[in-house]
Amino acid sequence: MAQINRIGEGLVDTSRTLSFTFNGDTLAGHPGDTLASALLANGIRFVGRSFKYHRPRGIFTAGSEEPNALVQLRTGAHQEPNTRATVAELFDGLTATSQNHRGSLKFDLLAMNDLLTPFLGAGFYYKTFMWPKSFWEKVYEPLIRNSAGLGRLSGEADPDSYDKGFLHCDVLVIGAGPAGLAAALTAGRAGARVILADEDFRFGGRLLAETHEIDGADGVDWAEQAVAELAAMDNVRLMSRTCVHGAFDHGIYGALERKTDHLPKSGGKPRQVLWRIYSRRALLCAGATERSICFGNNDRPGVMLAGAVRTYVNRFGVTPGQRVAIFTNNDDGWRTAHDLAEKGVEIAAVIDSRDGTPPAAPHGAMVAMGSAVTNAAGRHGLRSLTLTNGQTIQADCLAVSGGWNPNVHLTCHQRGRPVWRQDIAAFVPGGDLPVGMSVAGAAKGDMTLSAALKAGHGAGNAAAKDLGFTASRKAAPKSDDEAADVTAFWQVRESKTRAWVDQQNDVTVKDVKLAHQDGFRAVEHLKRYTTLGMATDQGKTANVLGLAIMAELTGRTIPETGTTVFRPPYSPVPIGAFAGRSRGKDFRPYRLTTSHGWAEEQGAVFVETGMWLRAQWFPQPGETHWRQSVDREVTRTRGSVGVCDVTTLGKIDIQGRDAAEFLNKVYANGFAKLPVGKTRYGLMLREDGIAMDDGTTARLAENHFVMTTTTANAVSVFRHMEFCRQCLWPGLDVHLISATEQWAQFAVAGPNSRKLLQKLVDAEHDISNEAFPFMACAELTVCGGTPARLFRISFSGELAYEIAVPARYGDAMVRALMAAGEAFDVVAYGTEALGVMRIEKGHAAGNELTGQTTARDLGLGRMVSKKKDCIGNTLSEREGLNREDGLTLVGFRPVDRATELKAGAHFVVKGKPVTTENDQGWMTSVAWSPTLGHSIGLGFIQRGHDRMGETVIAADPLRGNDIEVEIVSPHFVDPEGERLRA
Amino acid sequence: MIIDHPLLGPRDAAEFYVLGDASLIERPDWQDDNAAAAFDSYMHLRDNPAGEHRELWFHEQGDRSWLVVTRNTLTHEVVKVELARDVALALGRST
Amino acid sequence: MPDLTLTAQPPLGGFSHDFGGAKLAEIADHALVSIATPNGGEKKLAAAIKKSYGCALPRPGQSTLAKDGDTRLLGLQRDQMFAFFAHDGDQALAAVANKLGDAGYYTDQSDSWVMLRLSGELSWTALERICPLDLHPDVFAVGDVARTMMEHIGAVILRDGKTDFVLMSARSSARSFLHAVETSIRNIL
Repeated sequence: MAQINRIGEGLVDTSRTLSFTFNGDTLAGHPGDTLASALLANGIRFVGRSFKYHRPRGIFTAGSEEPNALVQLRTGAHQEPNTRATVAELFDGLTATSQNHRGSLKFDLLAMNDLLTPFLGAGFYYKTFMWPKSFWEKVYEPLIRNSAGLGRLSGEADPDSYDKGFLHCDVLVIGAGPAGLAAALTAGRAGARVILADEDFRFGGRLLAETHEIDGADGVDWAEQAVAELAAMDNVRLMSRTCVHGAFDHGIYGALERKTDHLPKSGGKPRQVLWRIYSRRALLCAGATERSICFGNNDRPGVMLAGAVRTYVNRFGVTPGQRVAIFTNNDDGWRTAHDLAEKGVEIAAVIDSRDGTPPAAPHGAMVAMGSAVTNAAGRHGLRSLTLTNGQTIQADCLAVSGGWNPNVHLTCHQRGRPVWRQDIAAFVPGGDLPVGMSVAGAAKGDMTLSAALKAGHGAGNAAAKDLGFTASRKAAPKSDDEAADVTAFWQVRESKTRAWVDQQNDVTVKDVKLAHQDGFRAVEHLKRYTTLGMATDQGKTANVLGLAIMAELTGRTIPETGTTVFRPPYSPVPIGAFAGRSRGKDFRPYRLTTSHGWAEEQGAVFVETGMWLRAQWFPQPGETHWRQSVDREVTRTRGSVGVCDVTTLGKIDIQGRDAAEFLNKVYANGFAKLPVGKTRYGLMLREDGIAMDDGTTARLAENHFVMTTTTANAVSVFRHMEFCRQCLWPGLDVHLISATEQWAQFAVAGPNSRKLLQKLVDAEHDISNEAFPFMACAELTVCGGTPARLFRISFSGELAYEIAVPARYGDAMVRALMAAGEAFDVVAYGTEALGVMRIEKGHAAGNELTGQTTARDLGLGRMVSKKKDCIGNTLSEREGLNREDGLTLVGFRPVDRATELKAGAHFVVKGKPVTTENDQGWMTSVAWSPTLGHSIGLGFIQRGHDRMGETVIAADPLRGNDIEVEIVSPHFVDPEGERLRA
Repeated sequence: MIIDHPLLGPRDAAEFYVLGDASLIERPDWQDDNAAAAFDSYMHLRDNPAGEHRELWFHEQGDRSWLVVTRNTLTHEVVKVELARDVALALGRST
Repeated sequence: MPDLTLTAQPPLGGFSHDFGGAKLAEIADHALVSIATPNGGEKKLAAAIKKSYGCALPRPGQSTLAKDGDTRLLGLQRDQMFAFFAHDGDQALAAVANKLGDAGYYTDQSDSWVMLRLSGELSWTALERICPLDLHPDVFAVGDVARTMMEHIGAVILRDGKTDFVLMSARSSARSFLHAVETSIRNIL
């Protein structure tokens, strides 16, 4: 197909031709084209179907405000729906298809929705599809979902990658039109660090679309020179294809940079980068967006905004029609007539809603002042217009201008409210701007070029001066003031047919009237009731029209009617960009212990605990079920010796003259008198008396302790202790640093653990039972001089130690332990066996420290010292936490030993119904005990200690079983603690 | 948001952990006659002002200092940032 | 009985790669020892440092370089700094303690961190993708140091040359951290 509407060069490179397809037809365009300009060049006006009524729609604008021309780009997994053809840069091989139709674009089976209009008006959800009730979910909603809507996702994973980043500047200039360029120039010349961002792929803004002169030169050339000057400055960063989409607290802006969207292939690089820009000052130079006028069938393909028509002609060398009519309420519309006539396009008529003497009209054009268009005809594309006097005009394009709305969006992101300016019939930014932001140019209501240049120039200088830079004295660029008179005109009342306010969401004047009639007259109600302004274009061309019509209906002024405000993003941001790299395995970092590589060699099965990957068990040949592995690991540990990596426990190095006193305050039990060379179990409470964490703390020297925390609470305990140190007792000399990562730590447990360690601990260190009794600790050396720490502590209940070496030796150490243990048939055990043994021993862990349990509940009430000040002891005495019938941690075993217990079961007295009123507690942890040969459990039950031997029901309605269990001591194995002292 | 750290200068709020009301510095005396009531109030009863609020922020991904940030809850304006340790010392807290 | 002498392993096995414009290499020959200032002991510690290292106590966010041109003291907190110096073996803590005596509290951190050197003209550009801090040389000058977060991972960043950065992060997540930095470089090349 030929580019029948290509009438000139514009700013495209016609020396090169790009090939692309639209709905399968191969078409041609040029570098510098958008998909929209290339489609128009090829004479294609009808590009899609509307959201609700499936009305034929064409290209309406030339920018990101486009409500209609949404297309799908690319194919397969790369397919991207809802792309605005007006911002999609053309590249060779681009594949585009229209969306929201069943069957072909021209013969859409769902076009019948247009005939169902009476049923689909505003609020139809609440009125039409109500009965029968059951039909909503099964019939109506699927039907509506299927027929309404936009494009479709491919259903495949997005093959592109995305990235994020952080930028910093003194002055962020948003928008590179005349005001933005002038602002960036002055701020940059003054020496400020400037970022100039524009969503377009070429800087210049409206200058690219106009035929203005600046300082006696062509406006486009001036922009080019300005960009060249900026590009040469080290302190200026130019970011084209970058949409600043949100203004956040304290000068932070969100911006989406399109990196490879304009390329046939991404080359493996991120498609888009979501930037967080930290600015000290921001200058919003976002320009203005033209609005339409409501008249009958004003959504026909071929009806376009007048400024957009000018853009296509001047910038892209494309005329949207062969015979163009203009309908305007302002002087700007007349520019379109002149620019088009200049390029040789036939002007059918200029229709101006204003009365009075018309400005000079292009030669041969009919002029109708005080007139208006009442209807547009031509189902798949405009053919003719009807005026208020009944006259019909043949035209294939109607350029409409209802005036310009300053792009105030970003000024609203911190709840700023725009204010109405009657002289330009538009909302301009109010006084309550985001901190550090100022506005210049058309975005502020400076509607002429000379005003915009002057304002931008001044704003750039002012921002730089404000930050302490010396402004350059170079004069502001100059140009003539163009005519910019406007008289508000919103709708043609004489129209008998439907007139569209919001084309993307199919909201008509009639819908606004209905909202008024139904009482939804406040702007926010109008928006929700009609969905006005709620589509992907955020009503950029529609909102003001809608509320102006509501104002007319209610007889109020526009300021009285008010306006809705805007939220980020200014234009759509793909979810992929928000996700950035955080997909799949990159969703979050993972942490590995130093024995990870070794464990992998052993075929370990790993489990995520927080961010850590820990060996869960080590399957051996012939083992087909995890229980076999775990039973073996427990049995061999209790029978001889086992090794487990316990590095993940938090370790905090505590030093200072007052370290002991500090520990005395953060732990519920006493630490002041712990001798050097000893370790003690410590229970930490929250200030409200609830148990927070537990672990052991060793005193390595008079003023030096090392504390362990649970794996899960390592970070929060550190934070809490810093709070205690800095905020509560700032006079104590105590210093904290995490040592979790510094030491690779292994539990060596079982009756032969000492013998094993004696092979590794250097001979000069005596670790016999006498020299190194239960709870001893020491700094010593292993394997011929490697520094190590040894703690005689036991989680399993066996004779056990924890040996720590600097992390660099962790891999070597686990191998040495296993080699030295060969003689004892050493076994490596994972977190499951660790869990089984701690349940057998009755130690509380995460399942018991739920943030609801007290020391008393855990059977550790006597540990809480009453003789000292420590976190949590005062409130732990609260009556509610010390009830007679309070919960206590006890053991449970099934009366029928063959039964398997379930964690989460709740206890009720035998014979009582299983109800909340009869609930006496719950089972927190269960395990199969290979030592005892049956299932065992730990749990909280009311007055547990007084009920030893009682049989209760462990009821599990969720999984449908009630098991008789006997209340027993939680210490299933070695209740006297003889083994660990052996 | 940006927290202007008294030692390090402006830093992104994402580096911080927020605990809440800075009155948590004023921990009651455990030997007070009304200790139970005082701790109950300290722990559970907070003001929720619409306007300036003194809050405890922990620079977890930074220098690990606790800060008292005076922030306007309506506008997010950060009015003042102090080291919590200095605030605590000024309140007479020590050991 | 096999030989049970323990051999050390750096967290990333001595990773090094030149991407062209940016080079990333693991630092495996340096030690890191934290020095905490005892309450009220700032003058004593400053004097000891002046005497042994010939440099000043660094302020938080800055570092000072010892007269020997090797040891760099990184000011990380009001009352805590890291001594970063070339060292082979396990006696890093003793090396510092022997110099400063009881003027400070010391904790060996050498094994707690993975340390990477990122250098080359594109180093700053790569860091823009993960580092929230302003690394403009006027703001983050040579010798400046900061603790921050990169790709959800806690990290320390030190600038010790115009285009040279030392990045440190927790040893256990060394692979994730390396992946984050590598991706940042690859994404900008």
